[in-house]
Amino acid sequence: MRLLMWWSGRALSSAATLLGVSVLIFAAVRLMPGGFAETVLGPFATAEQKAELAARYGLDQAVFLQYGHWLSAVAGGDFGVSMISRQPVGAELLARLPVTAELTVLAVLASVLAGVPLGVLTAVRARPEGGGAAGRLLSGLGVSVPEFVLGSLVVFVFSRYALGLKVGSWVPLTQDPAANLATMILPAAVLSVFSISVTARTTRDAVMGVLVEPYVTAAVGRGESPWFIVRHHILRNAATPVVTLIGTTTAYLLGGALIVEHVFNLPGVGSYIVQAVGRRDYAVVQAGVLLAAGVFIVMNVLIDLLVGMLDPRLGVMAGRRS
Amino acid sequence: MRNLRLACGVAAALLASACAATGTTTSPTAAAQQSAAPGYLALADQSLPSGGTLNLQVHIDSGAATGYDPQLADVATTWQLLSLSYETLVTVGPDFSVQPLLAEKWDTPSPTEYVFHLRKGVRFANGREMTADDVVGSLKRLLASKSVWRGQLGPVKSVTADGDGEVKVTLSEPYTPFLTALANVPAAVLPMKEIDDKSVDPATTLLGTGPYVVENHRQDVSWAFKRNDQYWNKGKPAADALNITIAPEEAARIAALQNGSAALATLGNVDSATMLAGAGNVQVGTQATTDFYYLMLNSLKPGSKLADPKVRQAIAIALDNQQIADVALGGQGKPTAITPAGLPGACDPAALPSAAKSVDDAKALLAEAGAQDLSFTLTIFSTEPAPAVAQVIQQNLQQAGITVKIEQMDEASWSGKVYGKAPADFDAALSWFAGYADPGMVTKWWNPETAGFNVGFMKPDKELNTLIDAAGKEPAGPSRDQALTAVCAKADADAQMIPLVTRPATVAFRTDALSPSLYATEGYGNVLRLVADARVKKTQ
Repeated sequence: MRLLMWWSGRALSSAATLLGVSVLIFAAVRLMPGGFAETVLGPFATAEQKAELAARYGLDQAVFLQYGHWLSAVAGGDFGVSMISRQPVGAELLARLPVTAELTVLAVLASVLAGVPLGVLTAVRARPEGGGAAGRLLSGLGVSVPEFVLGSLVVFVFSRYALGLKVGSWVPLTQDPAANLATMILPAAVLSVFSISVTARTTRDAVMGVLVEPYVTAAVGRGESPWFIVRHHILRNAATPVVTLIGTTTAYLLGGALIVEHVFNLPGVGSYIVQAVGRRDYAVVQAGVLLAAGVFIVMNVLIDLLVGMLDPRLGVMAGRRS
Repeated sequence: MRNLRLACGVAAALLASACAATGTTTSPTAAAQQSAAPGYLALADQSLPSGGTLNLQVHIDSGAATGYDPQLADVATTWQLLSLSYETLVTVGPDFSVQPLLAEKWDTPSPTEYVFHLRKGVRFANGREMTADDVVGSLKRLLASKSVWRGQLGPVKSVTADGDGEVKVTLSEPYTPFLTALANVPAAVLPMKEIDDKSVDPATTLLGTGPYVVENHRQDVSWAFKRNDQYWNKGKPAADALNITIAPEEAARIAALQNGSAALATLGNVDSATMLAGAGNVQVGTQATTDFYYLMLNSLKPGSKLADPKVRQAIAIALDNQQIADVALGGQGKPTAITPAGLPGACDPAALPSAAKSVDDAKALLAEAGAQDLSFTLTIFSTEPAPAVAQVIQQNLQQAGITVKIEQMDEASWSGKVYGKAPADFDAALSWFAGYADPGMVTKWWNPETAGFNVGFMKPDKELNTLIDAAGKEPAGPSRDQALTAVCAKADADAQMIPLVTRPATVAFRTDALSPSLYATEGYGNVLRLVADARVKKTQ
């Protein structure tokens, strides 16, 4: 019963969040300066052609009516039609989703595989009086350098010195996995720099917090090996904030993918949205943002479930404590 | 510390291996131009075998909001892509002369009559032979459409088929640019039988007589073309397939060229040639175009001092177009009048009335108009080199005591502000025109009643319109040159749209992957015009 209530609560709050996002994005695209007609049809379009375009996409109706029609269509799985390509937005999003998903998965993997060991290492080796300035500097840099700066730098450097990696082109995973990887490694690396830094930092703090716990001291006293202590006592107890962070970061990475896909010319959801914003292709921007919000919400639910598995005290079945 | 040393070591090893990967050095532009015949930036080596797949990258896809219908295509990027599948009765050569294409030859029995003798054995990609009815139907459809090109075709009175192999076009009065206007994609011959029986919708299907047919198109991602086995010009196209990737980021296109993912790419930044200098097996060339930048001065904004012709003339005088070409375009553009520089018969920009005057004359005109402290905002889009052009304009006008504030925005916001309403809500704006292949064609856009897009910021000038029409009727030769000179002088005095400099196109290709043909100068912005001649050396 408690589980059912938890799921109902999450579903309701998720629906409310999505509704709020839908209102915000719908209003935002219409408040953007620049007319869709001039952008889509070009300067030579006549007033009649502009009116025809507006009528075709229902943009001549009152805004609240447009919103109502769009929302009911989205609820039925119809994300509308792109004004630029005249193709269904949903189909194009589906076609592009694997690229963004692959990029994000690679970046998350890099974050976990590099960030967690780095965090553990720096925490275990940290001196009581402080130190680790190099680590802090690197993670600070990683957090503060924007993707478009790092991406542009990587494109420039690797266009000259390829080292077997490809920039500026993309090969589908299904066509040639090795060639696909050669085109995805650099974008994924750029995308992951922020999350590696944050993961390393959070892991370090979490591990340092656990290191002073009495059960760790007892384990040392029992003569257990350092690796055994890290694996059985430290990692599990330090995992909750790290897992939460990785989940949140995954959603953040989807946002970063917008820039990275554009810079590296990857045909994913991110570059689709960036181009649509530039052309005032309303249906695409609305659908893209709603999709990102949906992923964010789903990720949060998954994190809650995972955290509950790692630490039953915090799980969905834990109930309230007063 | 040990970790730091290890990191430094790894970085040094990476850098060392990276430097070892550097290719041989080639000099850009010059190398491309030396090897080509007169009028060509590059000429394909016909001794190389045919076949292979050609990978290209361009910065923007076709403007698909109007679909694939070539008659509704109004931007050069769309013409470029559609020209791979569609062909016109005539085409333009490297010197802008009109040359046969689907019409083998033509007669001009009088200045208002053109009889086209159609090439035999031309088939659409579906195998059906092209007929005179297709040509007649296509031209009639174009004339009845909302196409912007309808105005460029001139005063067409009738289009009739003369048997199976001839088409006669009669004009209501002489119109010299007629043949040149027929040479662009909107005047392509369409499969009218299929369009009429509705088995083909040109908005969604490309079915032409051109060298390639579309296999796949994903908007803003890529095009895949394969050779048209029905193509009438035997031996062409040389490449079996074309893959065109849409890569908006210039750095990504440069990277693709350098790592061999792309055999040819179009580039927009004038500094890209410098960036590619030293890249192994990459050759960069600047294709001159008839496209040109121009400054719009809004004479319809209520209360604006730019409504005064003297103020506008002062601005025209104070501008130093040579400096714009040298500084903002790296010396690759040329000052121009409203007839694009480089076209036969175009006016000499140095002979314009404003060119003979000085900054002091500009100041005097401003004083006469009571606009000594003139200040206005110049609205530009952020795509390079527009910001650089705007900065030189700002500095030029400062010499005449005019203060210019530059307002930079994304293209959509810019379009909305400049074309969104009438009267338009801007002071001055920067843009560029496609210059076409006849010096009289683009002058038509100086008549807002014909052009349409500028009715929000430009007053029609009856005298200028009369001169433009008169120049269109004059046969090519000294009398037309004189008529065009009068048009240029009048537009210079009107100064509602001030021509600045031509807009060059940069093309880069890999010499180890491709032997392309490229005109040295292009009128319709079509870098891919001669792609059917290109020989693939290797495909990556």
